[in-house]
Amino acid sequence: MVRDILHPPAGTNYKGLTIFLSAWSFFVLIPIAGLFLWSFLTMENFRPVWNLSLQAYREVLSSGRWQVAYRTLGTASLVTLVEVVLAFPFALWLAKGTRKTGVKITVLALLTIPFFLSLSARTIGWRSLLGLHGPINYSLMASGITDSPLDWLLFSQFAVVLGLLGPYFPTMVFPLYLSIGLIDDEILAASKDLGATPKDTLLYVILPLAFPGLGAGIIFTFIPMIGDSVIPTLLGGGHVILLSSSVESLLRILNYSVAASLSVVMLMLMTLMIMAVSYVSVIVIRRKGNPLGEIR
Amino acid sequence: MNGRECAKSTPAWSEHPIWRKIGLAFGLAALLLIYVPILWLILMSFSGDPLSGFPGDFTVRWYANLGESRNWLQPLVVSLALATGVSIVSMLCSTIVGRTVARMRRKGMAAAVLAVTLLPLAIPGVIIGTALFLYFRVLLGFKMGIWSLCIGHFVWAFPFALLAVLVVALRFDIRLLDAAADLGADPLERFRSVEFPLLKDGIIAGGLFSFLLSFNEIARSIYLRGRIETLPLYVWQQASSHRSNVVLIYPLNVLILLGSTLVVVFAFRRLFGKNTAVK
Repeated sequence: MVRDILHPPAGTNYKGLTIFLSAWSFFVLIPIAGLFLWSFLTMENFRPVWNLSLQAYREVLSSGRWQVAYRTLGTASLVTLVEVVLAFPFALWLAKGTRKTGVKITVLALLTIPFFLSLSARTIGWRSLLGLHGPINYSLMASGITDSPLDWLLFSQFAVVLGLLGPYFPTMVFPLYLSIGLIDDEILAASKDLGATPKDTLLYVILPLAFPGLGAGIIFTFIPMIGDSVIPTLLGGGHVILLSSSVESLLRILNYSVAASLSVVMLMLMTLMIMAVSYVSVIVIRRKGNPLGEIR
Repeated sequence: MNGRECAKSTPAWSEHPIWRKIGLAFGLAALLLIYVPILWLILMSFSGDPLSGFPGDFTVRWYANLGESRNWLQPLVVSLALATGVSIVSMLCSTIVGRTVARMRRKGMAAAVLAVTLLPLAIPGVIIGTALFLYFRVLLGFKMGIWSLCIGHFVWAFPFALLAVLVVALRFDIRLLDAAADLGADPLERFRSVEFPLLKDGIIAGGLFSFLLSFNEIARSIYLRGRIETLPLYVWQQASSHRSNVVLIYPLNVLILLGSTLVVVFAFRRLFGKNTAVK
Protein backbone atom coordinates (compact mmCIF):
# COMPACT_ATOMS: atom_id res chain seq x y z
CA MET A 1 0.00 0.00 0.00
CA VAL A 2 1.37 3.34 -1.05
CA ARG A 3 -0.03 5.16 1.96
CA ASP A 4 1.92 3.00 4.37
CA ILE A 5 5.19 3.69 2.60
CA LEU A 6 4.62 7.44 2.40
CA HIS A 7 4.01 7.82 6.08
CA PRO A 8 3.30 5.28 8.84
CA PRO A 9 -0.30 4.99 10.01
CA ALA A 10 -1.07 7.65 12.56
CA GLY A 11 -0.76 6.73 16.21
CA THR A 12 0.90 3.31 16.02
CA ASN A 13 2.73 3.37 19.28
CA TYR A 14 3.80 0.30 21.18
CA LYS A 15 4.78 2.10 24.39
CA GLY A 16 1.43 1.60 26.16
CA LEU A 17 1.20 -2.03 25.07
CA THR A 18 4.75 -2.73 26.27
CA ILE A 19 4.08 -1.28 29.71
CA PHE A 20 0.83 -3.23 29.96
CA LEU A 21 2.43 -6.50 28.91
CA SER A 22 5.24 -6.12 31.47
CA ALA A 23 2.70 -5.55 34.25
CA TRP A 24 0.59 -8.43 32.90
CA SER A 25 3.59 -10.78 33.03
CA PHE A 26 4.34 -9.75 36.60
CA PHE A 27 0.76 -10.07 37.83
CA VAL A 28 -0.52 -12.97 35.74
CA LEU A 29 1.96 -14.93 33.63
CA ILE A 30 4.68 -15.39 36.26
CA PRO A 31 2.18 -16.52 38.96
CA ILE A 32 0.71 -19.09 36.56
CA ALA A 33 4.15 -20.35 35.55
CA GLY A 34 5.10 -20.34 39.23
CA LEU A 35 2.36 -22.86 39.91
CA PHE A 36 4.46 -25.49 38.14
CA LEU A 37 7.49 -24.62 40.29
CA TRP A 38 5.42 -24.78 43.48
CA SER A 39 4.24 -28.25 42.66
CA PHE A 40 7.82 -29.59 42.77
CA LEU A 41 8.69 -28.07 46.14
CA THR A 42 8.45 -29.97 49.40
CA MET A 43 6.78 -28.71 52.56
CA GLU A 44 8.55 -28.82 55.90
CA ASN A 45 6.89 -27.38 58.99
CA PHE A 46 4.33 -25.58 56.84
CA ARG A 47 7.06 -23.76 54.89
CA PRO A 48 8.06 -24.60 51.33
CA VAL A 49 11.64 -25.81 51.02
CA TRP A 50 13.75 -25.26 47.91
CA ASN A 51 14.25 -28.92 47.36
CA LEU A 52 12.82 -30.12 44.08
CA SER A 53 11.00 -33.42 44.30
CA LEU A 54 7.92 -35.27 43.14
CA GLN A 55 6.70 -35.67 46.69
CA ALA A 56 3.66 -33.42 46.23
CA TYR A 57 2.53 -35.47 43.26
CA ARG A 58 2.98 -38.69 45.23
CA GLU A 59 0.85 -37.14 47.95
CA VAL A 60 -1.90 -36.29 45.46
CA LEU A 61 -1.95 -39.98 44.54
CA SER A 62 -1.62 -41.43 48.02
CA SER A 63 -4.02 -39.08 49.82
CA GLY A 64 -6.82 -39.88 47.41
CA ARG A 65 -6.97 -36.31 46.14
CA TRP A 66 -6.76 -37.72 42.61
CA GLN A 67 -10.32 -38.90 43.13
CA VAL A 68 -11.32 -35.24 43.31
CA ALA A 69 -9.67 -34.61 39.96
CA TYR A 70 -11.34 -37.72 38.56
CA ARG A 71 -14.77 -36.78 39.94
CA THR A 72 -14.51 -33.15 38.79
CA LEU A 73 -13.47 -34.15 35.27
CA GLY A 74 -16.16 -36.83 35.18
CA THR A 75 -18.93 -34.47 36.26
CA ALA A 76 -17.77 -31.74 33.89
CA SER A 77 -17.52 -34.21 30.97
CA LEU A 78 -21.00 -35.57 31.63
CA VAL A 79 -22.54 -32.09 31.76
CA THR A 80 -20.59 -30.99 28.68
CA LEU A 81 -21.85 -34.04 26.78
CA VAL A 82 -25.47 -33.31 27.72
CA GLU A 83 -24.94 -29.68 26.68
CA VAL A 84 -23.71 -30.81 23.24
CA VAL A 85 -26.80 -32.98 22.79
CA LEU A 86 -29.09 -30.13 23.85
CA ALA A 87 -27.25 -27.30 22.12
CA PHE A 88 -26.51 -28.76 18.66
CA PRO A 89 -30.12 -29.19 17.46
CA PHE A 90 -31.01 -25.88 19.08
CA ALA A 91 -28.14 -24.01 17.43
CA LEU A 92 -29.11 -25.59 14.11
CA TRP A 93 -32.68 -24.42 14.57
CA LEU A 94 -31.55 -20.95 15.65
CA ALA A 95 -29.15 -20.53 12.73
CA LYS A 96 -31.08 -22.23 9.91
CA GLY A 97 -34.50 -23.20 11.23
CA THR A 98 -35.98 -19.78 11.92
CA ARG A 99 -35.96 -16.75 9.65
CA LYS A 100 -37.41 -14.26 12.11
CA THR A 101 -34.81 -11.71 13.27
CA GLY A 102 -36.90 -10.77 16.29
CA VAL A 103 -36.94 -14.37 17.53
CA LYS A 104 -33.18 -14.66 17.04
CA ILE A 105 -32.38 -11.46 18.92
CA THR A 106 -34.69 -12.39 21.79
CA VAL A 107 -33.20 -15.86 22.14
CA LEU A 108 -29.62 -14.53 21.97
CA ALA A 109 -30.40 -11.89 24.60
CA LEU A 110 -32.06 -14.49 26.85
CA LEU A 111 -28.91 -16.61 26.57
CA THR A 112 -26.48 -13.73 27.21
CA ILE A 113 -28.04 -11.85 30.11
CA PRO A 114 -27.75 -14.64 32.74
CA PHE A 115 -23.98 -14.87 32.18
CA PHE A 116 -23.51 -11.57 33.95
CA LEU A 117 -25.84 -12.35 36.85
CA SER A 118 -24.76 -13.67 40.23
CA LEU A 119 -24.38 -17.45 40.07
CA SER A 120 -25.39 -18.01 43.69
CA ALA A 121 -28.57 -15.97 43.16
CA ARG A 122 -29.39 -18.11 40.14
CA THR A 123 -28.69 -21.36 41.95
CA ILE A 124 -30.35 -20.89 45.31
CA GLY A 125 -33.82 -21.22 43.77
CA TRP A 126 -33.09 -24.90 43.07
CA ARG A 127 -32.76 -25.54 46.81
CA SER A 128 -36.38 -24.71 47.37
CA LEU A 129 -37.52 -26.36 44.10
CA LEU A 130 -35.75 -29.67 44.78
CA GLY A 131 -36.15 -29.75 48.58
CA LEU A 132 -38.02 -32.43 50.51
CA HIS A 133 -41.09 -30.17 50.78
CA GLY A 134 -40.58 -28.51 47.40
CA PRO A 135 -42.99 -28.50 44.46
CA ILE A 136 -41.23 -31.30 42.56
CA ASN A 137 -41.46 -33.77 45.43
CA TYR A 138 -44.99 -32.57 46.14
CA SER A 139 -46.21 -33.20 42.61
CA LEU A 140 -44.42 -36.57 42.46
CA MET A 141 -46.25 -37.66 45.60
CA ALA A 142 -49.57 -36.08 44.65
CA SER A 143 -49.57 -37.92 41.33
CA GLY A 144 -48.79 -41.15 43.11
CA ILE A 145 -45.44 -41.81 41.41
CA THR A 146 -43.66 -42.02 44.76
CA ASP A 147 -44.94 -42.55 48.30
CA SER A 148 -42.27 -40.59 50.14
CA PRO A 149 -40.25 -37.54 49.06
CA LEU A 150 -37.11 -38.36 47.06
CA ASP A 151 -34.13 -37.35 49.16
CA TRP A 152 -31.62 -37.67 46.30
CA LEU A 153 -33.11 -34.70 44.47
CA LEU A 154 -31.15 -32.17 46.56
CA PHE A 155 -27.61 -32.30 48.03
CA SER A 156 -26.54 -34.98 45.61
CA GLN A 157 -24.61 -35.59 42.41
CA PHE A 158 -27.93 -35.30 40.56
CA ALA A 159 -28.59 -31.81 41.96
CA VAL A 160 -25.09 -30.63 41.02
CA VAL A 161 -25.43 -31.91 37.44
CA LEU A 162 -28.91 -30.38 37.09
CA GLY A 163 -27.69 -27.07 38.54
CA LEU A 164 -24.70 -26.95 36.17
CA LEU A 165 -26.81 -27.59 33.05
CA GLY A 166 -28.53 -24.19 32.95
CA PRO A 167 -25.62 -21.78 33.58
CA TYR A 168 -23.27 -23.57 31.15
CA PHE A 169 -25.72 -23.95 28.26
CA PRO A 170 -25.19 -20.53 26.58
CA THR A 171 -21.43 -21.01 26.28
CA MET A 172 -22.10 -24.12 24.20
CA VAL A 173 -24.83 -22.60 22.03
CA PHE A 174 -22.99 -19.44 21.00
CA PRO A 175 -19.95 -20.90 19.19
CA LEU A 176 -22.16 -23.57 17.55
CA TYR A 177 -24.65 -20.93 16.44
CA LEU A 178 -21.87 -18.76 14.98
CA SER A 179 -20.21 -21.61 13.09
CA ILE A 180 -23.49 -22.99 11.68
CA GLY A 181 -24.64 -19.47 10.84
CA LEU A 182 -21.49 -18.97 8.73
CA ILE A 183 -22.46 -21.90 6.47
CA ASP A 184 -23.88 -20.39 3.33
CA ASP A 185 -27.45 -21.35 2.46
CA GLU A 186 -26.19 -21.87 -1.11
CA ILE A 187 -23.93 -24.69 0.08
CA LEU A 188 -26.85 -26.46 1.72
CA ALA A 189 -28.95 -25.98 -1.40
CA ALA A 190 -26.10 -27.28 -3.58
CA SER A 191 -25.75 -30.36 -1.42
CA LYS A 192 -29.47 -31.03 -1.87
CA ASP A 193 -29.35 -30.44 -5.61
CA LEU A 194 -26.51 -32.91 -5.91
CA GLY A 195 -28.82 -35.53 -4.45
CA ALA A 196 -27.76 -35.63 -0.83
CA THR A 197 -30.43 -36.59 1.64
CA PRO A 198 -30.80 -34.22 4.62
CA LYS A 199 -29.00 -36.86 6.68
CA ASP A 200 -26.04 -36.75 4.28
CA THR A 201 -26.11 -32.95 4.32
CA LEU A 202 -26.01 -32.99 8.09
CA LEU A 203 -23.22 -35.56 8.33
CA TYR A 204 -21.00 -34.49 5.44
CA VAL A 205 -21.64 -30.75 5.15
CA ILE A 206 -23.01 -29.19 8.34
CA LEU A 207 -21.15 -31.31 10.89
CA PRO A 208 -17.63 -30.88 9.44
CA LEU A 209 -18.18 -27.13 8.97
CA ALA A 210 -19.57 -26.79 12.52
CA PHE A 211 -16.64 -28.65 14.10
CA PRO A 212 -14.62 -25.54 15.03
CA GLY A 213 -17.71 -24.16 16.79
CA LEU A 214 -18.23 -27.48 18.56
CA GLY A 215 -14.61 -27.44 19.74
CA ALA A 216 -14.84 -23.84 20.97
CA GLY A 217 -18.14 -24.63 22.69
CA ILE A 218 -16.66 -27.63 24.49
CA ILE A 219 -13.66 -25.58 25.68
CA PHE A 220 -15.72 -22.58 26.84
CA THR A 221 -18.15 -24.86 28.68
CA PHE A 222 -15.78 -27.45 30.10
CA ILE A 223 -13.03 -25.20 31.50
CA PRO A 224 -15.09 -22.75 33.58
CA MET A 225 -17.20 -25.63 34.88
CA ILE A 226 -14.12 -27.32 36.35
CA GLY A 227 -13.40 -24.21 38.41
CA ASP A 228 -16.95 -23.70 39.59
CA SER A 229 -17.18 -23.41 43.37
CA VAL A 230 -20.72 -22.12 43.83
CA ILE A 231 -22.99 -24.83 42.43
CA PRO A 232 -21.27 -27.87 44.05
CA THR A 233 -21.35 -26.13 47.45
CA LEU A 234 -24.95 -24.92 47.24
CA LEU A 235 -26.47 -28.05 45.68
CA GLY A 236 -23.98 -30.75 46.72
CA GLY A 237 -24.38 -29.91 50.39
CA GLY A 238 -20.94 -31.24 51.34
CA HIS A 239 -21.52 -34.63 49.71
CA VAL A 240 -20.06 -33.69 46.35
CA ILE A 241 -16.49 -32.44 46.83
CA LEU A 242 -15.13 -31.03 43.60
CA LEU A 243 -11.81 -29.39 42.76
CA SER A 244 -12.57 -25.96 44.21
CA SER A 245 -13.36 -27.05 47.76
CA SER A 246 -10.50 -29.55 47.74
CA VAL A 247 -7.93 -26.88 46.80
CA GLU A 248 -9.46 -24.51 49.32
CA SER A 249 -9.07 -27.04 52.14
CA LEU A 250 -5.46 -27.71 51.10
CA LEU A 251 -4.64 -24.01 51.26
CA ARG A 252 -6.37 -23.74 54.62
CA ILE A 253 -4.09 -26.39 56.12
CA LEU A 254 -1.14 -24.59 54.45
CA ASN A 255 -0.31 -27.52 52.20
CA TYR A 256 0.78 -25.27 49.34
CA SER A 257 2.78 -27.70 47.23
CA VAL A 258 0.02 -30.32 47.13
CA ALA A 259 -2.53 -27.61 46.23
CA ALA A 260 -0.20 -26.52 43.41
CA SER A 261 0.38 -30.06 42.14
CA LEU A 262 -3.35 -30.83 42.22
CA SER A 263 -3.89 -27.68 40.12
CA VAL A 264 -1.12 -28.71 37.72
CA VAL A 265 -2.56 -32.22 37.42
CA MET A 266 -5.94 -30.65 36.56
CA LEU A 267 -4.39 -28.33 33.97
CA MET A 268 -2.51 -31.25 32.39
CA LEU A 269 -5.58 -33.50 32.27
CA MET A 270 -7.66 -30.65 30.83
CA THR A 271 -5.09 -29.96 28.14
CA LEU A 272 -4.86 -33.68 27.31
CA MET A 273 -8.65 -34.00 27.04
CA ILE A 274 -8.90 -30.93 24.82
CA MET A 275 -6.07 -32.20 22.62
CA ALA A 276 -7.77 -35.59 22.39
CA VAL A 277 -11.08 -33.98 21.41
CA SER A 278 -9.46 -31.85 18.71
CA TYR A 279 -7.38 -34.81 17.45
CA VAL A 280 -10.46 -37.00 17.17
CA SER A 281 -12.39 -34.26 15.39
CA VAL A 282 -9.58 -33.80 12.85
CA ILE A 283 -9.62 -37.55 12.16
CA VAL A 284 -13.40 -37.58 11.87
CA ILE A 285 -13.33 -34.71 9.39
CA ARG A 286 -10.58 -36.40 7.35
CA ARG A 287 -12.30 -39.78 7.27
CA LYS A 288 -15.70 -38.37 6.38
CA GLY A 289 -13.89 -36.58 3.59
CA ASN A 290 -14.89 -32.95 3.85
CA PRO A 291 -16.58 -32.48 0.46
CA LEU A 292 -15.78 -28.78 0.47
CA GLY A 293 -12.10 -29.50 0.77
CA GLU A 294 -11.88 -30.46 -2.87
CA ILE A 295 -13.74 -27.43 -4.14
CA ARG A 296 -11.54 -24.94 -2.32
CA MET B 1 -32.91 -28.28 7.51
CA ASN B 2 -34.87 -25.12 6.79
CA GLY B 3 -38.50 -24.55 6.09
CA ARG B 4 -38.37 -25.19 2.36
CA GLU B 5 -36.77 -28.58 2.71
CA CYS B 6 -39.17 -29.77 5.33
CA ALA B 7 -42.24 -29.01 3.23
CA LYS B 8 -42.03 -32.29 1.35
CA SER B 9 -44.97 -34.59 0.87
CA THR B 10 -43.37 -37.91 1.86
CA PRO B 11 -40.41 -37.08 4.01
CA ALA B 12 -37.74 -39.65 4.78
CA TRP B 13 -37.12 -40.11 8.50
CA SER B 14 -34.09 -37.86 8.33
CA GLU B 15 -36.00 -34.93 6.86
CA HIS B 16 -39.05 -35.26 9.02
CA PRO B 17 -40.24 -31.86 10.38
CA ILE B 18 -39.91 -33.30 13.86
CA TRP B 19 -36.19 -32.43 13.84
CA ARG B 20 -36.92 -28.74 13.86
CA LYS B 21 -39.32 -29.26 16.72
CA ILE B 22 -36.67 -31.21 18.62
CA GLY B 23 -34.18 -28.37 18.18
CA LEU B 24 -36.68 -25.88 19.51
CA ALA B 25 -37.78 -28.19 22.33
CA PHE B 26 -34.21 -28.82 23.54
CA GLY B 27 -33.52 -25.08 23.54
CA LEU B 28 -36.69 -24.32 25.45
CA ALA B 29 -35.84 -27.02 27.98
CA ALA B 30 -32.42 -25.48 28.55
CA LEU B 31 -33.89 -21.98 28.82
CA LEU B 32 -36.29 -23.33 31.42
CA LEU B 33 -33.35 -24.75 33.38
CA ILE B 34 -31.85 -21.25 33.33
CA TYR B 35 -34.93 -19.19 34.10
CA VAL B 36 -37.12 -21.35 36.36
CA PRO B 37 -34.78 -20.99 39.39
CA ILE B 38 -34.57 -17.22 38.78
CA LEU B 39 -38.35 -16.77 38.54
CA TRP B 40 -38.87 -19.09 41.49
CA LEU B 41 -36.43 -17.00 43.55
CA ILE B 42 -38.40 -13.84 42.73
CA LEU B 43 -41.69 -15.53 43.59
CA MET B 44 -40.36 -16.89 46.90
CA SER B 45 -38.93 -13.51 47.90
CA PHE B 46 -42.51 -12.23 48.11
CA SER B 47 -43.75 -15.27 50.03
CA GLY B 48 -44.50 -15.41 53.73
CA ASP B 49 -42.03 -18.25 54.27
CA PRO B 50 -39.37 -18.32 51.50
CA LEU B 51 -37.61 -21.30 53.09
CA SER B 52 -40.66 -23.54 52.73
CA GLY B 53 -41.12 -25.21 49.40
CA PHE B 54 -44.24 -23.33 48.41
CA PRO B 55 -45.09 -19.73 47.58
CA GLY B 56 -48.09 -18.15 49.24
CA ASP B 57 -49.12 -15.61 51.86
CA PHE B 58 -47.58 -12.87 49.72
CA THR B 59 -45.86 -10.00 51.48
CA VAL B 60 -43.14 -7.40 51.05
CA ARG B 61 -42.03 -7.99 54.64
CA TRP B 62 -38.61 -9.38 53.66
CA TYR B 63 -37.83 -6.35 51.54
CA ALA B 64 -38.74 -4.13 54.48
CA ASN B 65 -36.55 -6.26 56.77
CA LEU B 66 -33.59 -5.62 54.49
CA GLY B 67 -33.70 -2.02 55.68
CA GLU B 68 -33.40 -3.11 59.31
CA SER B 69 -30.68 -5.73 59.23
CA ARG B 70 -27.78 -3.77 57.78
CA ASN B 71 -25.19 -6.58 57.65
CA TRP B 72 -25.25 -6.61 53.86
CA LEU B 73 -24.52 -2.89 53.55
CA GLN B 74 -20.76 -3.07 54.22
CA PRO B 75 -20.16 -5.93 51.68
CA LEU B 76 -22.29 -4.02 49.16
CA VAL B 77 -20.16 -0.89 49.49
CA VAL B 78 -16.94 -2.96 49.18
CA SER B 79 -18.25 -4.74 46.07
CA LEU B 80 -19.43 -1.52 44.41
CA ALA B 81 -16.10 0.21 45.03
CA LEU B 82 -14.15 -2.82 43.85
CA ALA B 83 -16.24 -3.23 40.69
CA THR B 84 -15.96 0.47 39.89
CA GLY B 85 -12.17 0.41 40.28
CA VAL B 86 -11.79 -2.77 38.23
CA SER B 87 -14.01 -1.45 35.44
CA ILE B 88 -12.09 1.85 35.20
CA VAL B 89 -8.71 0.08 35.00
CA SER B 90 -10.17 -2.44 32.52
CA MET B 91 -11.48 0.32 30.26
CA LEU B 92 -8.11 2.07 30.29
CA CYS B 93 -6.04 -1.05 29.62
CA SER B 94 -8.40 -2.58 27.06
CA THR B 95 -8.36 0.69 25.10
CA ILE B 96 -4.54 0.76 25.07
CA VAL B 97 -4.21 -2.91 24.10
CA GLY B 98 -7.25 -3.12 21.83
CA ARG B 99 -6.40 -0.18 19.59
CA THR B 100 -2.76 -1.26 19.31
CA VAL B 101 -3.57 -4.88 18.47
CA ALA B 102 -6.17 -3.81 15.89
CA ARG B 103 -3.56 -1.90 13.86
CA MET B 104 -0.65 -4.33 14.20
CA ARG B 105 0.82 -5.03 10.80
CA ARG B 106 2.24 -8.46 11.66
CA LYS B 107 -0.69 -10.81 12.24
CA GLY B 108 1.52 -13.30 14.10
CA MET B 109 2.43 -10.64 16.67
CA ALA B 110 -1.20 -9.65 17.15
CA ALA B 111 -2.14 -13.31 17.64
CA ALA B 112 0.64 -13.75 20.21
CA VAL B 113 -0.48 -10.67 22.19
CA LEU B 114 -4.09 -11.91 22.12
CA ALA B 115 -3.09 -15.43 23.20
CA VAL B 116 -1.24 -14.03 26.21
CA THR B 117 -3.94 -11.54 27.22
CA LEU B 118 -6.88 -13.90 26.68
CA LEU B 119 -5.12 -16.76 28.53
CA PRO B 120 -7.18 -16.34 31.73
CA LEU B 121 -10.28 -17.37 29.78
CA ALA B 122 -8.74 -20.83 29.32
CA ILE B 123 -7.83 -21.46 32.98
CA PRO B 124 -10.40 -22.33 35.65
CA GLY B 125 -10.91 -19.62 38.27
CA VAL B 126 -9.79 -21.83 41.17
CA ILE B 127 -6.43 -22.42 39.54
CA ILE B 128 -5.83 -18.70 38.83
CA GLY B 129 -6.89 -17.90 42.39
CA THR B 130 -4.47 -20.50 43.76
CA ALA B 131 -1.62 -19.29 41.54
CA LEU B 132 -2.09 -15.65 42.59
CA PHE B 133 -2.41 -16.62 46.26
CA LEU B 134 0.79 -18.68 46.26
CA TYR B 135 2.67 -15.94 44.40
CA PHE B 136 1.60 -12.85 46.35
CA ARG B 137 0.87 -14.25 49.81
CA VAL B 138 3.35 -17.10 50.21
CA LEU B 139 6.22 -16.19 47.89
CA LEU B 140 6.25 -12.38 48.14
CA GLY B 141 4.73 -12.28 51.63
CA PHE B 142 2.09 -9.56 51.02
CA LYS B 143 -1.07 -9.48 53.15
CA MET B 144 -4.17 -10.21 51.10
CA GLY B 145 -6.68 -7.39 50.96
CA ILE B 146 -8.65 -5.18 48.64
CA TRP B 147 -5.64 -4.85 46.30
CA SER B 148 -5.37 -8.60 45.72
CA LEU B 149 -9.11 -8.80 45.05
CA CYS B 150 -8.60 -5.98 42.56
CA ILE B 151 -5.88 -7.91 40.72
CA GLY B 152 -7.84 -11.17 40.73
CA HIS B 153 -10.99 -9.50 39.41
CA PHE B 154 -9.03 -7.53 36.83
CA VAL B 155 -7.44 -10.72 35.45
CA TRP B 156 -10.94 -12.18 35.07
CA ALA B 157 -12.64 -9.07 33.65
CA PHE B 158 -9.93 -7.71 31.36
CA PRO B 159 -10.18 -10.35 28.57
CA PHE B 160 -13.89 -9.61 28.20
CA ALA B 161 -13.32 -5.85 28.11
CA LEU B 162 -10.61 -6.40 25.50
CA LEU B 163 -12.97 -8.44 23.33
CA ALA B 164 -15.59 -5.68 23.56
CA VAL B 165 -13.04 -3.03 22.51
CA LEU B 166 -11.77 -5.24 19.67
CA VAL B 167 -15.32 -5.43 18.27
CA VAL B 168 -15.20 -1.69 17.58
CA ALA B 169 -11.44 -1.23 17.11
CA LEU B 170 -11.32 -3.74 14.24
CA ARG B 171 -14.10 -1.80 12.51
CA PHE B 172 -12.25 1.50 12.90
CA ASP B 173 -10.84 2.85 9.64
CA ILE B 174 -7.31 4.01 10.37
CA ARG B 175 -7.31 6.35 7.33
CA LEU B 176 -9.55 8.70 9.32
CA LEU B 177 -6.54 9.48 11.48
CA ASP B 178 -4.41 10.26 8.43
CA ALA B 179 -7.13 12.56 7.18
CA ALA B 180 -7.21 14.31 10.55
CA ALA B 181 -3.42 14.62 10.48
CA ASP B 182 -3.54 16.16 7.02
CA LEU B 183 -6.02 18.69 8.36
CA GLY B 184 -3.48 19.66 11.00
CA ALA B 185 -4.71 17.81 14.11
CA ASP B 186 -2.02 16.86 16.63
CA PRO B 187 -1.94 13.27 18.02
CA LEU B 188 -3.93 14.10 21.16
CA GLU B 189 -6.59 15.91 19.18
CA ARG B 190 -6.75 13.05 16.67
CA PHE B 191 -7.45 10.60 19.49
CA ARG B 192 -9.90 12.82 21.33
CA SER B 193 -12.07 14.02 18.49
CA VAL B 194 -11.74 11.23 15.89
CA GLU B 195 -10.75 7.89 17.37
CA PHE B 196 -12.29 7.99 20.84
CA PRO B 197 -15.84 8.87 19.74
CA LEU B 198 -15.82 5.83 17.43
CA LEU B 199 -14.36 3.47 20.07
CA LYS B 200 -16.46 4.87 22.90
CA ASP B 201 -19.32 2.37 22.78
CA GLY B 202 -17.02 -0.66 22.88
CA ILE B 203 -15.02 0.85 25.74
CA ILE B 204 -18.12 1.61 27.78
CA ALA B 205 -19.65 -1.81 27.13
CA GLY B 206 -16.35 -3.43 28.15
CA GLY B 207 -16.33 -1.33 31.31
CA LEU B 208 -19.89 -2.37 32.18
CA PHE B 209 -19.08 -6.05 31.57
CA SER B 210 -16.01 -5.72 33.80
CA PHE B 211 -18.14 -4.10 36.48
CA LEU B 212 -20.62 -6.99 36.48
CA LEU B 213 -17.98 -9.73 36.29
CA SER B 214 -16.19 -8.20 39.27
CA PHE B 215 -19.42 -7.51 41.15
CA ASN B 216 -20.50 -11.17 40.93
CA GLU B 217 -17.08 -12.84 41.19
CA ILE B 218 -16.64 -15.69 43.70
CA ALA B 219 -14.22 -18.39 42.45
CA ARG B 220 -11.07 -16.20 42.64
CA SER B 221 -12.21 -14.04 45.55
CA ILE B 222 -12.20 -17.03 47.93
CA TYR B 223 -8.41 -17.15 47.80
CA LEU B 224 -7.61 -13.46 47.47
CA ARG B 225 -10.00 -11.88 49.96
CA GLY B 226 -7.87 -11.70 53.12
CA ARG B 227 -10.38 -10.37 55.65
CA ILE B 228 -12.46 -8.47 53.10
CA GLU B 229 -16.06 -9.54 52.55
CA THR B 230 -17.60 -8.85 49.17
CA LEU B 231 -21.33 -9.04 48.53
CA PRO B 232 -21.31 -12.32 46.54
CA LEU B 233 -19.13 -13.96 49.20
CA TYR B 234 -21.51 -12.72 51.90
CA VAL B 235 -24.59 -13.95 50.04
CA TRP B 236 -22.96 -17.27 49.20
CA GLN B 237 -21.91 -17.92 52.79
CA GLN B 238 -25.35 -16.97 54.07
CA ALA B 239 -26.90 -19.31 51.53
CA SER B 240 -24.65 -22.24 52.43
CA SER B 241 -25.32 -21.83 56.15
CA HIS B 242 -28.65 -22.58 57.78
CA ARG B 243 -29.00 -19.54 59.99
CA SER B 244 -32.28 -17.73 60.59
CA ASN B 245 -31.49 -14.54 58.65
CA VAL B 246 -30.91 -16.59 55.48
CA VAL B 247 -34.41 -15.50 54.46
CA LEU B 248 -33.06 -12.04 53.69
CA ILE B 249 -30.90 -13.57 50.96
CA TYR B 250 -34.01 -13.93 48.79
CA PRO B 251 -34.96 -10.24 48.49
CA LEU B 252 -31.27 -9.27 48.41
CA ASN B 253 -30.61 -11.66 45.51
CA VAL B 254 -33.66 -10.36 43.64
CA LEU B 255 -32.40 -6.79 43.97
CA ILE B 256 -28.91 -7.81 42.76
CA LEU B 257 -30.44 -9.64 39.79
CA LEU B 258 -32.58 -6.64 38.91
CA GLY B 259 -29.68 -4.18 39.09
CA SER B 260 -27.37 -6.45 37.06
CA THR B 261 -30.00 -7.02 34.37
CA LEU B 262 -30.44 -3.27 33.92
CA VAL B 263 -26.67 -2.82 33.50
CA VAL B 264 -26.48 -5.68 30.95
CA VAL B 265 -29.32 -4.28 28.87
CA PHE B 266 -27.68 -0.84 28.93
CA ALA B 267 -24.30 -2.34 27.90
CA PHE B 268 -25.79 -4.25 24.98
CA ARG B 269 -27.63 -1.20 23.70
CA ARG B 270 -24.29 0.61 23.77
CA LEU B 271 -22.43 -2.16 21.98
CA PHE B 272 -24.98 -3.34 19.43
CA GLY B 273 -27.77 -0.76 19.56
CA LYS B 274 -26.76 1.08 16.41
CA ASN B 275 -26.96 -1.93 14.14
CA THR B 276 -29.45 -4.25 15.74
CA ALA B 277 -29.85 -6.17 12.51
CA VAL B 278 -26.25 -7.41 12.70
CA LYS B 279 -26.69 -8.86 16.13
